[in-house]
Amino acid sequence: MSWFVGVDVGGTFTDFFAFEESTGESFVHKTPSTPDAPAEAIASGLQAVCRARGIPLDQVARLAHGTTVATNALLQRRGGTVALITTEGFRDLLEIGRQTRPHMYSLQEDHPAPVVPRERRFEVAERVLADGSVLKPLAPEAILAAVEQVRASGADACAICLLFGFLNPAHERALAEALRAAIPDLYVSLSSEVQPEFREYERLSTTVLNAYLQSVMDRYLGELGARFEEIVPGLQIGINQSSGGLMSIGRARRFPVRTALSGPAAGAVGAIHVARLARRPRVITLDMGGTSADVALIQDYRASTGFDRAVGGFPVRLPMLDINTVGAGGGSIAWFDRDGGLKVGPISAGAKPGPACYGAGGTEPTVTDANLLLGRLSPRGLLGGRMGLDREKARQAFAPLAERLGFPVERAALGVLAIVASNMVRAIRAVSVERGHDPRRFSLMPFGGAGPLHATDVARALGIREIVLPPAPGILCAQGLVVSDLKEDFVRTGRMPVETLHLDAMHGKLGELLADAEQWFIAEGIAHDDRSVELTLDMRYVGQNFELPVKLAGTDLGALDELKRLFFAVHEMSYGYSNPNDPVEVVNFRLTTKGRLPRPSEAPVATTSTGSPAAIEVRPVWFATDAPVDTPVYDRDRLRAGLVLQGPAVIEQLDATTLLYPGDRLTVDPSLNLLIELAP
Amino acid sequence: MTTVDPITLEIVHNGLRSITDEAFIALMKSAYSTNIKERRDHSVTICDLAGRLIAQAENSLPIHLASMLGLMEKVLEKVPLADMREGDIFVANDPHVAGGTHLPDVNMAMPVFVGGRLLAFVCNIAHHADIGGMVPGSMAGGTEIYQEGLRIPVIRLFRAGVLQDDILDLLLLNVRVPMERRGDYFAQVAACRLGERRLVELAETWSPATLDAVFDEVVARTERRMRDAIGRIAPGIYTFADVMDDDGFGAHDIPIRCRIEIDGGRFHIDFTGSGAQVAGNINLKLSGTVAAVAYALKALLDPDVPNNHGVLQAIEVAVPEGTILNARFPAAVAARANTCQRVIDVVLGALAPALPDRAVGAANGANTTAVFSGTNPATGADYLYLETLGGGFGGRATKDGKDGVQVHITNTSNLPVEAIEMEYPLLVESYGLVEDSGGAGQHRGGLGLRRVVRPLGHTAVFSGQGERFAHRPWGIFGGEPGACGRFLLRKADGTTSPLPPKPSSMPVTSDQALVVETPGAGGYGEPSRRLASDVEGDRRQGKFSAAYLEQNYRR
Repeated sequence: MSWFVGVDVGGTFTDFFAFEESTGESFVHKTPSTPDAPAEAIASGLQAVCRARGIPLDQVARLAHGTTVATNALLQRRGGTVALITTEGFRDLLEIGRQTRPHMYSLQEDHPAPVVPRERRFEVAERVLADGSVLKPLAPEAILAAVEQVRASGADACAICLLFGFLNPAHERALAEALRAAIPDLYVSLSSEVQPEFREYERLSTTVLNAYLQSVMDRYLGELGARFEEIVPGLQIGINQSSGGLMSIGRARRFPVRTALSGPAAGAVGAIHVARLARRPRVITLDMGGTSADVALIQDYRASTGFDRAVGGFPVRLPMLDINTVGAGGGSIAWFDRDGGLKVGPISAGAKPGPACYGAGGTEPTVTDANLLLGRLSPRGLLGGRMGLDREKARQAFAPLAERLGFPVERAALGVLAIVASNMVRAIRAVSVERGHDPRRFSLMPFGGAGPLHATDVARALGIREIVLPPAPGILCAQGLVVSDLKEDFVRTGRMPVETLHLDAMHGKLGELLADAEQWFIAEGIAHDDRSVELTLDMRYVGQNFELPVKLAGTDLGALDELKRLFFAVHEMSYGYSNPNDPVEVVNFRLTTKGRLPRPSEAPVATTSTGSPAAIEVRPVWFATDAPVDTPVYDRDRLRAGLVLQGPAVIEQLDATTLLYPGDRLTVDPSLNLLIELAP
Repeated sequence: MTTVDPITLEIVHNGLRSITDEAFIALMKSAYSTNIKERRDHSVTICDLAGRLIAQAENSLPIHLASMLGLMEKVLEKVPLADMREGDIFVANDPHVAGGTHLPDVNMAMPVFVGGRLLAFVCNIAHHADIGGMVPGSMAGGTEIYQEGLRIPVIRLFRAGVLQDDILDLLLLNVRVPMERRGDYFAQVAACRLGERRLVELAETWSPATLDAVFDEVVARTERRMRDAIGRIAPGIYTFADVMDDDGFGAHDIPIRCRIEIDGGRFHIDFTGSGAQVAGNINLKLSGTVAAVAYALKALLDPDVPNNHGVLQAIEVAVPEGTILNARFPAAVAARANTCQRVIDVVLGALAPALPDRAVGAANGANTTAVFSGTNPATGADYLYLETLGGGFGGRATKDGKDGVQVHITNTSNLPVEAIEMEYPLLVESYGLVEDSGGAGQHRGGLGLRRVVRPLGHTAVFSGQGERFAHRPWGIFGGEPGACGRFLLRKADGTTSPLPPKPSSMPVTSDQALVVETPGAGGYGEPSRRLASDVEGDRRQGKFSAAYLEQNYRR
């Protein structure tokens, strides 16, 4: 027996998903998170789970872990003490950034102060040019002086980011070597290692954040590794990255910034797994929780990747799953703006006091209160009744709002839900139509605690015809971890025209990347059959500044005309036009490598049975403003594969409630996904 | 007439904003001009049939509000609605006859039809890297509009969906690097069509009548919201005066004066007493002055108020014709952004006593522009590199002014040094903050920026636009003024010599370097009230010299 375990540590709950390779057996488990001692909580959580299930610890072969330690350290500004070394003349760049204000019209709002204050930013006399040649060599005395400045600053980590260091990293490496020799316990982050591509400010910011997180993550992952070495010697541990793949603990300690957005990424990977089971290659995900909703687009079972995100107000340039977040959740509060317009979110009642109906002191009308008032959530409460909901309190919270609108409470509640849906629609448009994808060609996959309640409203507004609901929407992130592969992203910047003349140079860059990949495969011990690589070129028309990723079928550049044709097609899709006669250039070469890990089978697991389950109850549910509809309520655990239900219906399970509108049709597929077909 | 409830209003308004944001991004990513692609010097809006601005993309520049309104007014004046056809796209740029504010901003408007009925217009503006005229970049040097570039009245670039090739040929023949400008025109056209498609989809979901009602409601609510905020300012007369340094053609210390009357929800501003229009290119058309006033009020009173016509309906602006703030044909206007900044300064200065917790010291008050051009010695191709630099932001009631940032009417990004050097034969030797340039105060003003640029292997041509190079940005409530900006030429022997604030076509050889220093900003409150720990921070960070700290804080 050999168990794979996914552990997703969220703000409120720690979710476990465990899977056994030979039998296909799996189970889920949820425990409260302990933010103060996350490593210990995971270890003791795993011990408890295994004890309860009668699994000997030595049968746990692999643990995949999604962590918010880095994210929280960034948001709470609890990273290390960082020094920075830059090219002479550029120490203020970290502070200037792109010289913009975060809010065009605000006289008061600024971008956050950099995590390295000016007195710990040091300059070295050196200069590399745009072709990688050295204009001014880095003198040994300059290295010594910089080392002394860093030492005197008392920093525990040092970021090094020199102009064009991504083309010629010699100076960065010389500084790093000297620093490591002179200050052995100093963490060092090089821009040429963290993200070796052009545009100095984004590379600098990413490198600085990496250094800022190194001490925190090194401590955490060190503890985690040691603790597991005690209880399960030899356990393989994978840490989830923002790009939606795992890395070893060793790499995570070197590149902690790659975990800054790892939480939502696991959800998208889990969604891809479910999409495969349901045989739906095109899916838009909607992960809606208490305060926010994450949306992502999946095409051909792959999530699209983006590169520029801000975390805690700081730009990060790294491959990350292209996930858009909007302040729309169950706790989102409805309020009137100064002009009398009705808004929902981003302000949230959070977990405490929570929505008014939690009875924990909340008085503002929230999305959850609206769902309760409309009969969509069970008056018996959440978590199978373990958490009671107070309908009267929800009504009280909504009364002033309804009165101001001049509507009955139910109509006001429906309005609030329509607005929160429109906010999510806007977020989905940003990852679909704004990237050239027509959402009507996709299925919507809601998950998270609140997703299944709102999916139909969102789908209809986007013209989406089908909803796919995973069997356990609340733990999809933990499930995603178990089906993740080991992953690494390599990049080389090399700006060159797509012309025969430059073919050798292009092959040169490609050769370097393939060599990097080979090294990584060996270092991570990945067998030949489990290896895969994927080549993407960032291309643009000569004169443009934004590159478009052009994915190649293999790792062969092929004919240049064909390469251009691929670019024209991507340009056409993204911007609606292309000019086949204009010159094209490559800017970055990217290679993504994957090491396939064993994972749960993608074959259907459920046995089919016929016959309708009995409804638990029938309750009035508001679908439209005129009157409620008597609606049967079903227990999801009793819905077998092959079952067909005609709406209206409510389907309840431990951590989610699904709404089936009148006229819509629900089918349970062989993997126990619910497929909802929306009536035209 | 159809009415809308607040719920429908919010949802449809969301839809309209999605459309403008989507088109904004598409335009940015597919354009060729650095101004658009890296600096976001472009805007997208939806206007109704009366030419009112209904929705503007979130990141649109405030100054573009003016061009958009001007354009719509002229389009409607020239072409009866009945003569518009599906697929028409209007193009224009001229400030004197087509509602623009300067020639490089090329404006487009496309009528949107739903079921054969005209519903609205989708419009966009993009700042092209060059529009012809006497100087590369079309931003410096002229004394009349003819010298500043190609003047485009309101004309159709597309008629019923058909490109007017002859017109495009004419437009492109008159600009430098025409192939890139063609890319910019097509990026704008694509953005129009994208907006059109989306607006039709929205109208099909909600009905054109609902959209009409939403247009009215959006504008009415915003106007009410602005008037409410104005109504909370103590009634009275508020005045302020400042000066522009010069126009580059002999006019100095040009006064900018305002008199604001607040009376309940009424805001009336009169610029009588401001200087006569000048020969240099810093003149504003009236719509530009209105846009600057609208920005200042919105920033002071309610930064989150939606950007639409309601903001404009809440303010009354009076400017005598023939002045620098309401210039007549054939005034030169290319560098009008600097004058916008000064208009904002005087509005903020006038209202400071009424709104002490929101007022700020004068910011760098400029749109410092540096343009390098020449022939790349490696490729033989001509190049043109334009950049506008930020400076100090004024001290505030609760904190220091930000260092090195774009202020007020502009919020454009810098171009990455690595992008500059990959694209142009230029070396950026340094890019940093100017020490001691922030005005002292309880909360000090922000620091200006310094950028040093050296041509590699050739002689480059430099043109620039500076303001607050002679008159320092003032402090408020006892705060000290910030430092002035300047252009310097560093010679082969390392010595520097000052250049005029508006240099035009100056050669810079490869053993010389051009130094741009932008102004700092004014402080807020008496320097004596600055906390010892803040002064200590100034010292520790090395942003201020010991001499400066001694002189201003006596410590």
